[in-house]
Amino acid sequence: MRRRLALLVAGTTSVVLLAFLVPLSVLASKAAASDAINATTSRTQALVSAVASGAGPAEIQGQVDQLSRSGLTVRLGHPSAGAPLATTVRRTSSGAAVVRQPVVVGGKTVVVVTEVPRSRLRRGVARAWAVLLLLGAVLVGLSLVVADRLARSLTRPITDLAQTAERLGAGDLSARTVPGGPDEVREVGVAVNLLAARIAELLTHERESVADLSHRLRTPITALRLDVDSLAAGAERDRLAAGVDELTRQVDAVIREGRRPVREGVDARCDAREVTRERVEFWTALTEDQGREVTVALPDQTCLVRASADDLGAALDALIGNVVSHTPEGAAMHVVLTAEASGGALLLVDDEGPGFSDSAVLARGESRAGSTGLGLDIARRTAAASGGDLRIGRSSPGGARVSLRLGAPAG
Amino acid sequence: MAVLLIIEDDPHIRSALTRALTDRGHAVSSEPAALRGLQRVIDDPPDLVVLDLGLPDVDGVQLLRMLRPVSAVPVIVATARDDDASTVAALDAGADDYLVKPFSAEQLDARIRAVLRRSATNEPAILTVGGLTVDLKARSAILDGVLLDLRPREFDLLAYLAARPGEVVTKRTLLADVWLSPFGGADKTVDVHLSWLRRKLGETAAEPRLLHSVRGVGVKLVPAPPEM
Repeated sequence: MRRRLALLVAGTTSVVLLAFLVPLSVLASKAAASDAINATTSRTQALVSAVASGAGPAEIQGQVDQLSRSGLTVRLGHPSAGAPLATTVRRTSSGAAVVRQPVVVGGKTVVVVTEVPRSRLRRGVARAWAVLLLLGAVLVGLSLVVADRLARSLTRPITDLAQTAERLGAGDLSARTVPGGPDEVREVGVAVNLLAARIAELLTHERESVADLSHRLRTPITALRLDVDSLAAGAERDRLAAGVDELTRQVDAVIREGRRPVREGVDARCDAREVTRERVEFWTALTEDQGREVTVALPDQTCLVRASADDLGAALDALIGNVVSHTPEGAAMHVVLTAEASGGALLLVDDEGPGFSDSAVLARGESRAGSTGLGLDIARRTAAASGGDLRIGRSSPGGARVSLRLGAPAG
Repeated sequence: MAVLLIIEDDPHIRSALTRALTDRGHAVSSEPAALRGLQRVIDDPPDLVVLDLGLPDVDGVQLLRMLRPVSAVPVIVATARDDDASTVAALDAGADDYLVKPFSAEQLDARIRAVLRRSATNEPAILTVGGLTVDLKARSAILDGVLLDLRPREFDLLAYLAARPGEVVTKRTLLADVWLSPFGGADKTVDVHLSWLRRKLGETAAEPRLLHSVRGVGVKLVPAPPEM
């Protein structure tokens, strides 16, 4: 912006200066020529007087010689027919000026013809032009300095504002700008500060309402559980207890989901490569005990995704935990993470077990082989919150495949 | 039997807890607010207090801070707050145990027994099982003179098992007592931590020394037989 303003001011100043300086330099050269001609006529005045007073040839020759020595070519001639009886100046093609001064001597007209060379006509013009040029340059320079100061006073508050917005975007909700600069920019600064305060307020409110949600849901479940516990032992109590367990798990999932904005703040991101490496490494203790072959393929570079490390870790734990729980010991597991060209990543967890028998297990979070399916649900929610999705299918060896597409972080 | 005081604002939970704990042989009284509870502790000291944190007049953590200078009565916090900050704040303020809602009466009763046992016998801060020494205060474990490098959860797991040498503990119990998530989580979470623990103890499932799996039931920690 500073450069553009400087260019604009330089352009405008130059045009204005040209409009003044070009006529001024023409005027200067004309004035120099006029001065030279005036000087010439005043120097030839003695010769003209001598001719008019009928001086002798020797005296006139003396005068002519004297003028020649000073660089002027002077001769006497006759007037051309019909020429006016007044001093005339004519420019020759070579740029010199010829001054004709008619003198009447005893009824005859003699013309004193003086040729003023071009160099004499343009004497001082170069200097005048140089002074004008210098003046123009100084004025352009001055205007640039003033424009830059003005631009800086305009851009500084905007730069501050941009930095504040960037910090807010990165999740630093304490970032504020000091409103300054022109009125419009100051207003934007005030608005950004208000917005930041509002975001912080909303997050606080969110935090409180999530805490309240946990309290509101868990307190009655506790009462329900205690009541079920007080029933006489039997099939009915066991069924009710199982129902309360399931309800508790679902409520936990709801609370966990409700806490996502609080956990993540405004900018959730993590390096999926690092999290995947770490979680697979964590599970190796068990997979090795179970005699499973585990392969993991990771991209060469960091792979940022829009999910917190905690959430992605929990999703990976759920997916790997599923493989470990629901495939026979010894069945191999393959984890493949690839960075997607459009940002984000694709995570594949394949196994060589019997595969999914019911694809509705994911959609409804329904029970499967004694587990609740909530693990897949956690993974699905993490993927969805990142702007991706979760799909289940068949791995190439015929086992189960879970593909988790994770979106790229915001900004 | 113990004399218990429940400080809990929800009338339904208060009556259910009173009923459940009375059924289990305790003498139970209750108060619906913090300051009345504090007064009751001072006037008529119970053996143990079950305290909710979200009370209408004064927050439970604040109550603990007010209580500790005047009474050493064991306190179990039973609350819906499951975040680390709340747990740490309550334990730092002087709680003896922390239980997240929802919990079962059985679980709360087990905690009550454990806390009472601890306070009665002044349970040692150092546990020893064969060549294994677990220092609960320093949170360190030494096996045959070598300091083990344990993650926090692995330490909790080892300490829990070391406090019950020879006793078979189910994975469900471990989830409830070590992970504090009795109804959520997967068994495999316990399995993977047990696998790590086994590795760090320098043994395998096939050739256990200290940590033994009892198939279909759970695990137990036993003194290792002397090396041949």
